[in-house]
Amino acid sequence: MNEIATLARPYAVAVFKRAKETNSSKKWSKNLSFLAAVLNDNVIFGMIDDPKVGRDRLFTLLLDICADQLDQEGSNLLKLLIENNRLNLIPFILELFETYKAEDEGFINIDVTTAYAFTKESKQHFNEVLEKNFGKKVNMKVVVDSSLIGGVLVRAGDQVIDGSIRGQLQQLAQRL
Amino acid sequence: MQLNPSEISDLIKKKIENFDLSTQVHTEGTVVSVTDGIVRIHGLSQAMQGEMLEFPDHTFGMALNLERDSVGAVILGAYQHISEGDTVRCTGKILEVPVGEALLGRVVDALGNPIDAKGPINCVETSPIEKIAPGVIARQSVDQPVQLGLKSIDSMIPVGRGQRELIIGDRQTGKTAIAVDAIINQKGTGIKCIYVAIGQKRSSVANVVRKLEEHDALAHTIIVVASASESAALQFIAPYTGCTMGEYFRDQGEDALIIYDDLTKQAWAYRQVSLLLRRPPGREAYPGDVFYLHSRLLERASRINAKEVEKLTNGRVTGKTGSLTALPIIETQGGDVSAFVPTNVISITDGQIFLESNLFNSGIRPAVNAGLSVSRVGGAAQTKIIKKLGGGTRLDLAQYRELAAFAQFASDLDESTRKQIERGQRVTELMKQKQYSPMSVAQMGVSLFAANEGFLDNIEVNKVLDFEAALLSYFKSEHTELMDSINATGDFSNEIGSSIRSGIETFVKTHSW
Repeated sequence: MNEIATLARPYAVAVFKRAKETNSSKKWSKNLSFLAAVLNDNVIFGMIDDPKVGRDRLFTLLLDICADQLDQEGSNLLKLLIENNRLNLIPFILELFETYKAEDEGFINIDVTTAYAFTKESKQHFNEVLEKNFGKKVNMKVVVDSSLIGGVLVRAGDQVIDGSIRGQLQQLAQRL
Repeated sequence: MQLNPSEISDLIKKKIENFDLSTQVHTEGTVVSVTDGIVRIHGLSQAMQGEMLEFPDHTFGMALNLERDSVGAVILGAYQHISEGDTVRCTGKILEVPVGEALLGRVVDALGNPIDAKGPINCVETSPIEKIAPGVIARQSVDQPVQLGLKSIDSMIPVGRGQRELIIGDRQTGKTAIAVDAIINQKGTGIKCIYVAIGQKRSSVANVVRKLEEHDALAHTIIVVASASESAALQFIAPYTGCTMGEYFRDQGEDALIIYDDLTKQAWAYRQVSLLLRRPPGREAYPGDVFYLHSRLLERASRINAKEVEKLTNGRVTGKTGSLTALPIIETQGGDVSAFVPTNVISITDGQIFLESNLFNSGIRPAVNAGLSVSRVGGAAQTKIIKKLGGGTRLDLAQYRELAAFAQFASDLDESTRKQIERGQRVTELMKQKQYSPMSVAQMGVSLFAANEGFLDNIEVNKVLDFEAALLSYFKSEHTELMDSINATGDFSNEIGSSIRSGIETFVKTHSW
């Protein structure tokens, strides 16, 4: 996985720079996520490494599927990836692209897991607290998971803030 | 200790009451691959080099490779239960082991956990396993001896407190025997011993422990074991663990002796870990930093001055210097000291005790090659009597080695050459010593005096050891005071010389052997 990330990085950087130049990061984001979604399909995924399916055929096939969703530059990227045999990198390119984008826009992507669903006000309040804490605008994704028992678990990149009852119980179990 | 259930629940209640419910902030990563105890982890962007990482089920690892997108870590202990996708946490701490007096007399693993079934060890303090060696200002020169109790070594290759003296030789040449004798001889001297067994059979370690117990030497000894069946990571860190435990005594203004048995196996373990971490291999497939592996370990063996001890103990101990003496062991293959690891360690240490298998096989035990063995600083640390009398021994043996080839022409040789050869034969014989019978300074002094002054010249070669044994038991019973005073001060004067001489003369006249 680390090697794949290394391989995907130059593509992601290039896409990001191009998007910034042409001021089209939203479109690129759509392009990439659509491509990733297509590749997620088992039939298509099987075709990537299938020796019976030539590069040209794969390209026309994928272009057919994506026809109205992909612009000219998007299909150029697709062609390049097929030529370089790097089609499997797309999900990672998307991931890195989104991180760069968020970083550039001064956002930070945060996953919040909570035991009980937030009310609108509490979500607003929580958002403010997190923004103050990280010093950046927060792009919050909320998941409800009752196995936390209570409290919230915040995940920003690989940093974790565990304020859940489950985490505290685990701490207690370790201490005893 | 018996606890009834209500007491247990009280204890638990108390713990819960005092439990500090804080929100935990930590860095997490995911296991990407597990290969032979090496784990690759995605994430953990905050990890430090050498940091302890927490895996599921109370397993710990150590971060060794920090790369752009991943962290390479070794797992300390069993790794069978760790699988792809497990979460890993940073602990923010460098690996630490318990230190203190409570460890004496115990057998522990590379992480400081007891493995001798004598119950838990109550250590208050812990200390990181990797530390920077004391600086130049903190050090003091080596000027006190560590008596290993072996005539041939103490007289010719003396070891001082704070010195690093390598014991090198092929397999089965008595390297461990010297180390064990050295530990036994520290009984009652106040020198604490640490024996680190790396990559050895558990049965060999059990043997050493039993022998130390038999000779009443376990009480001042800590035994750190990373046996052959344990993971390479543990074999790699075991010497550092032992060193940290020894440094504790050094920093308290005491003297300690540490034996690494042996560093060849540690280098092997480190090579395995490095290759699995995909570090580029160099000479003999060792990684590029195998020299640093040993130099940073042995550099920590040192003598520190009283000021530094005072600083380290916050003024609790004053006017005492501390020392950690290291006796690393290296096993050579077919006597080849020019292999990579032996040359490295020879160049790091302050001298070496070179053991040879043909000497061992011809019955000269300890099989010390007096010509190739040296001690670069120990001379300054020898007791007066051994220094004075041991010099002659070294000379006799050196001259004998030059002439030994002519020994078969005995009848055609001139008088002085023949005498040299005969003296050499007797001194060689005298240097033999049984295992587990270390000698005191006074006993060595008397033996060496007898050899220097020619008392052995009229004794048949194969009777020399019998003569010595009888002589020493005579001195023990008849000249107890003289022996005690030599042992106490280590001094040598004309007076002492003449009383030893008269003692030997009376013995020769009145006793048989």
